[in-house]
Amino acid sequence: MSVVRCDGVVQIYKAQDVEVVALRDVDLVVEAGETVALLGPSGAGKTTLLWLLAGLLRPSAGRVVVNGADLGALDQRKLDRVRAANLGVVLQNPARNLIPYLSAAQNVAFAQRGVRRDRRRVRDLLRRVGLEPLGGSPAGRLSGGEQQRLAVAVALANRPRLLLADEPTSQLDGDSGRAVVELIRSSAAEEGTTAVVVTHDQAVGEGLGRTVTIRDGRVGAEGRRGEDFVVVGREGAIQVPPEYHHLLPPGSMARIEAIEDGVVLRRAER
Amino acid sequence: MIWLGLWERRALALIVLIVAIVPVGAASIGPLYAEASRTTIVRDVLRAAPTDGRGWRYTTPVAMESGLREFTAGADFLSAPIRGFEAQSQVARQDTIVSLMWQDGQCEHVTLLEGRCPTAPFEVMVGEGFAGRFGEEVILSSFAAHDKKTNQFVARPLKVVGVYRANSPADPFWFNRSLFAALATEGRLERAEPFFITPETRSEGYLLGSGQWTDYALVFADPERITGGDLDTIAVMQARVERVGRVSSAAVFTRMGDTLRTMTRQAGALAVPTYVVVGQLVALAWLLLFQTVADLVRARSPEIALARLRGHSLPRVWRFALAEPLLLLALAYPLGVLTGRAVAQAVVRHVPAEWPPAALGAGAGALAGGLLAAAVAAWRTARRPVTEEWRRTPRRAGRGWVLDAVVLALAGMGLVELLGAGVITDASGQRTGALAVPGLIALALALLARRALPGLARLGYGRTRRRGGLGAFLALRQVARGPVTAGSMIVLATAFGLATFAVAAWTATLGNYAETARFHLGAPAVIEVGRVTPEQLAAAVAKADPSGRQAAPVIRVPGSPQMVAADPARLAEVASWDPRHAGGIALREAAARMKAQRAPRAMLGGEQVRMTVAHGRIPPKATVRFFLTIRVPGRVGPVSLPIARLEKGVTRHTWRLPAGCHKEACELRGLRGEMVLPVAGEDEFDPVVLPVAVNRLEVLSGGRWQEVDAGLTDPARWAPVDDSDPVQADEYGLELRLVENSGSGVRLVTYPDPLPAITTGQVGAKALPGLDLLAGVGVEAAVPSAAAPGLSDTGAVVDLDLADRAAFGIAPQARFEVWVREGRAAPIAGALAAAGLEVIATQRVGDLERRYAGEGPGLALLLMLVSALAAAALALGRTVLALYTAARRRRYELAALAAAGARLGALRGSLLMEQLVVVCAGMATGLVAGLLAARVALARIPQFAEAPPTPPLPFDLAPGPLALLLGTGVVVSLLATMAVSEVLLRGIQVDRLREAQA
Repeated sequence: MSVVRCDGVVQIYKAQDVEVVALRDVDLVVEAGETVALLGPSGAGKTTLLWLLAGLLRPSAGRVVVNGADLGALDQRKLDRVRAANLGVVLQNPARNLIPYLSAAQNVAFAQRGVRRDRRRVRDLLRRVGLEPLGGSPAGRLSGGEQQRLAVAVALANRPRLLLADEPTSQLDGDSGRAVVELIRSSAAEEGTTAVVVTHDQAVGEGLGRTVTIRDGRVGAEGRRGEDFVVVGREGAIQVPPEYHHLLPPGSMARIEAIEDGVVLRRAER
Repeated sequence: MIWLGLWERRALALIVLIVAIVPVGAASIGPLYAEASRTTIVRDVLRAAPTDGRGWRYTTPVAMESGLREFTAGADFLSAPIRGFEAQSQVARQDTIVSLMWQDGQCEHVTLLEGRCPTAPFEVMVGEGFAGRFGEEVILSSFAAHDKKTNQFVARPLKVVGVYRANSPADPFWFNRSLFAALATEGRLERAEPFFITPETRSEGYLLGSGQWTDYALVFADPERITGGDLDTIAVMQARVERVGRVSSAAVFTRMGDTLRTMTRQAGALAVPTYVVVGQLVALAWLLLFQTVADLVRARSPEIALARLRGHSLPRVWRFALAEPLLLLALAYPLGVLTGRAVAQAVVRHVPAEWPPAALGAGAGALAGGLLAAAVAAWRTARRPVTEEWRRTPRRAGRGWVLDAVVLALAGMGLVELLGAGVITDASGQRTGALAVPGLIALALALLARRALPGLARLGYGRTRRRGGLGAFLALRQVARGPVTAGSMIVLATAFGLATFAVAAWTATLGNYAETARFHLGAPAVIEVGRVTPEQLAAAVAKADPSGRQAAPVIRVPGSPQMVAADPARLAEVASWDPRHAGGIALREAAARMKAQRAPRAMLGGEQVRMTVAHGRIPPKATVRFFLTIRVPGRVGPVSLPIARLEKGVTRHTWRLPAGCHKEACELRGLRGEMVLPVAGEDEFDPVVLPVAVNRLEVLSGGRWQEVDAGLTDPARWAPVDDSDPVQADEYGLELRLVENSGSGVRLVTYPDPLPAITTGQVGAKALPGLDLLAGVGVEAAVPSAAAPGLSDTGAVVDLDLADRAAFGIAPQARFEVWVREGRAAPIAGALAAAGLEVIATQRVGDLERRYAGEGPGLALLLMLVSALAAAALALGRTVLALYTAARRRRYELAALAAAGARLGALRGSLLMEQLVVVCAGMATGLVAGLLAARVALARIPQFAEAPPTPPLPFDLAPGPLALLLGTGVVVSLLATMAVSEVLLRGIQVDRLREAQA
């Protein structure tokens, strides 16, 4: 059963009479318990896709279905309920995930206010991110790395069906990053939490079950079990991965040759 | 959590708390201030009222206690009643009536000249007029006692055991009754001073005939206990005064009605201005509160966004957003009410001990602005897309004209309404609505300036972009974008507009008070002295000030027109004067014009007066009588002596002079003759005329007849009392031509009629009240002036000697004063006392100024000044804080500029310039608005409980206080902006760039 389903999602930002297309015809399906890393260069639209999945934006076109609910069609009350019960979000800047004057434990508990309080889970999460001794410390006084780990714990506080994390390891050292990835994986394994993680960190991508690469607002590639695939878009378009640009530079012409189980692109001389 | 959040945002929370306290305080101060000021007014008016205007004399022949209880029901501000009773009786074998009376505590209020106070039945204490009867018994024709032997009522003599003199007839104990005016007459009977008895005399005695004891009780309103809230009770009691007389045999004597009218008028002059002032300030404070609370809610927007991200329901998000502001507002309420009380206590006396419900309600109402602001801001924040919170550059909020247009239209309509209602054009200085003008003008200009400033900044922004420095570029760009500019401009301009107007109004009002006090009092200091004769007053002043340059004797007489009589030469040395009001005439010249030539007075000092006449044949059956009109010392009004009934062959006619002429000489003022025929003459065109020549006038003094120089042979010394023919006089004497059935009178010319005077207003052909208040003399405007010393309305300043010559005594209402130069009051008062004058009180110009300032409008203007200055300080603080908050949000941008190599000096300059441009523009707009409002409304606002017709008020704006206000504002804002800039610069860390979102 899919927890996330994006059908032809288009997102257009309007700024001072200029329209910027952030996502175009994005199709994506994430099954329950899957852990997905969203990869791609800056400005590719990863964060926009994450915000769409969190219901923070409504798509300009297409559908975003989370846990069976079409987020674009929900009213604010239902959307709040979906967020409270099914979603956990880690924002990119760790400090933004936290209320600085509350303790680490209070921050985790704050994320439970929309659902049933569970103090044991608060302690458990702090233990799992290695912050149990700092549970009473104000979040604002924690280091950047500690704040990032706490942000993940906060996002998991309500046992979300879908965890959405934007660069959750950007300020962590290798070990801490791995611990966070492990936490996400264990949540997926033990609690069935589906995770979509935006990252630039190749190690995070490798630590998760699947990678989805966004380029120029489109899903350009996917990786599963260590193998990368390009994704054929709705109009049959594919994006040649950058590592092959020296063979098929952007702007060059190619010849398509059909083979038994697909096609082969060969550079055509002008 | 709420407390933690408040601590996290402690600076802003503190500002919100302070800003919230102000409207609560300002709103609650209104009712408290009004109540306290009403109390001040009521007490001041009560203290200044005459004795019988401070209480009631309840009299009844029956059922005293129940009647009094009913009359005073509900009045808990009365002092304990002074009880008494009295009855009238004639002294046997004398043409004298006397009050037989007892008043509780009577012995403490008289001075015993002989003997003691009565202590036993039928003992009596008498006035000086009966001193000769000390130790004897006096029989009253109506007083008797029951004789057990005969079982009849028989006259019961009263034993005179003491002779008294009232300590002071003005003693409130006597309730301003003319008990001790021994010479007052009632019909042909003389009234003696009261006989004081004991209550036992009444119980053991009996009144014969129609005589009846009347019980009375004097109840006074206690100025230490009465409050403004008691005005209604006094009004109810006054209504009972009317009713008592209709429904019972009781009667109430009082002049409290006049006092009540004065109290009500002054209290009314206070209430409306107070509420208009407070209303404007509360509106301004609302604006401040609205913005500041919204700032607090906005400061929590990241947390609110987090709550929404975590899926908190909308009501929960609302609660979360509102928690902190609501807690602060809840704290602000009691603090605000207490602050309002403290300020009220500091500014005005008699703040009520209890909390008027209106004050509590007004405070709560003022908080509504904060609640509304919190609700609106929370609603906006809760509804804003969460992602907006994390945008690096917030979306530009559209600034619609709709709200501005509505507010501008309302302000314009308000001004037009005030103009249409005559408030702005009226120059009476009593239109309370004029107090709303500054608020409306300030708000209108603030709205316009808020629009203009970003536009002007945009112009400069373009220029600095091309060739200006980075600092100016950044500052003007920020002002032009103006997330803070608009709100700050409105608040600052409005607050400074009100403050400027308040300072202008207060300084101009103080100037007006000083000018008015100077003229109304007449001189820098005025010593009120006891009643003496004008000659004694002048002599005492001459003794106290031999130089003739430091003091002037003055008698001030109320009335319409008013009259001030003074020694012209001395007046010219001490009185307040402004030649500009009198066409450039100096006071010395004006005083000289008050003088006139005077003929000698004809004095009749002795026991008898004798007149020698010559006349022709007296018509048959005609009755021809002659009267002398004289002035008797100590008595007000002319006394007519029927000196002669002409008979054939009798030329000398003698008459006994009144007792008052024995010790001091009386003054001959005129002669009058009349001829009455029982049957009129046959020819009405040729009436019977009898010429009579008065050729000699003598007085008997010390057993010898002495001729009186009455100028009987000099026609210039006599004038007809009406418009009849000129007086004829020659060596044969003064001739009066008596026409049948009519009178003919002449007066001795010792003064000019009309009297030359310095006059104010349109005196016209009005008669002056005269020292005797008999309005017997006209006035000639020798020096018309817009203002004259001692006059508060239409009136005249005349020569004291001439006024005395024109008067028949001095009315009890006349005030005897000595006007003195600045700084000479104390030594002159001492010298006057040494010269034998009773010094009652000394009043200085400052005292009068304080009295004006203590009246309703003065108190309202003071409230306006204090509150407007506080509001301006608060607005300045709020603006700097808002600029700081806005700049703090731009730390990322500043950090990026610093990282890009922008010099710290340029960044400092940009922060300073941005703040100074906004603050100075706001203050400048406020200054212009305040000065414009002052020009439009200053002369219209109420400054006096009753606008004085004279002197013309200068309405001078004092540049000093205005410059001080502006200078203080500039210095404070400069210091604040410098401090804020430094704090912000320290917060610029390049590390912060890492925190920025992609």
